[in-house]
Amino acid sequence: MDKNLSSAGEKKTNCSEQSKCFQLLESILDGENIPDSDKILKEKLEKCEPCYRHFHLEMAIKELLKTKCCHQITPQDLLDNIRKKVEEAK
Amino acid sequence: MSQVQRKKYSDKEKNHIFDQEFMPHIDSMYNFAYRLTFDEDDAKDLVQDTYLKAYRFINSFEQGTNAKAWLFRILKNSFINDYRKKSKQPAKVDYQEVETYYNSDDVDYSGTTDLRVDAVKDMLGDEISNALNSLAVDFRTVIILCDLEGFTYEEMAKILDIPIGTVRSRLHRARNLLKEKLRSYAQSMGYDTDGEEFT
Repeated sequence: MDKNLSSAGEKKTNCSEQSKCFQLLESILDGENIPDSDKILKEKLEKCEPCYRHFHLEMAIKELLKTKCCHQITPQDLLDNIRKKVEEAK
Repeated sequence: MSQVQRKKYSDKEKNHIFDQEFMPHIDSMYNFAYRLTFDEDDAKDLVQDTYLKAYRFINSFEQGTNAKAWLFRILKNSFINDYRKKSKQPAKVDYQEVETYYNSDDVDYSGTTDLRVDAVKDMLGDEISNALNSLAVDFRTVIILCDLEGFTYEEMAKILDIPIGTVRSRLHRARNLLKEKLRSYAQSMGYDTDGEEFT
């Protein structure tokens, strides 16, 4: 059995082009227009353990950032001041 | 900000653009300003200054184009040109130094790949927020623009005045640094981050 395959023989345990693959996976995750992205994603996630782990970890972090770091409420006095200053500038 | 005067808007048109295209982004703008400055008053000043500039230069804005990206670019430039200069607390880390250090193609993943999804999913808001806030401002900025605000790489390149390739690599390095921080939190929470098994 190839030493680079997992015990189940399903996925590579090492990625020979890790940096390139990870940046490509991140671009797909970020919704960039990558040709054949569905095909690339399916192949990498099915056949490469490091790519599978990286993609799912990045997706979890991205979701966490979106749900936990976007909830600053704009202070009312800021809104009032902007309105006032813009009126003065007219 | 482009100084090209594309069109002279009437007062009514200006008010419409300001109210309908600029103001809806105020929460995102305030969140961005707060995460740049870490200070409520400074964030307010930065956002107010940005909106006043936006109104003053409204003829440079082409209606129907991306108002949010245009506003973020003004805010980013105001932060660099005005806030950083007068701030008594300049950026903790010089970006060039950081970028040079991390610009190697041989990014070391050994310390980051063993952070596990279940540990991340169990994190409360504080850990992720603190980890984000601990990054140098240029790395923090790309994560805010991409992951919090959903800008495309092309929009980020325009906001930051850098090539798309630099956006991609800076974002990748920022994420590795963020994972390093999260890994420390995961360890302190009692997760075994050195295990081989992935769940």
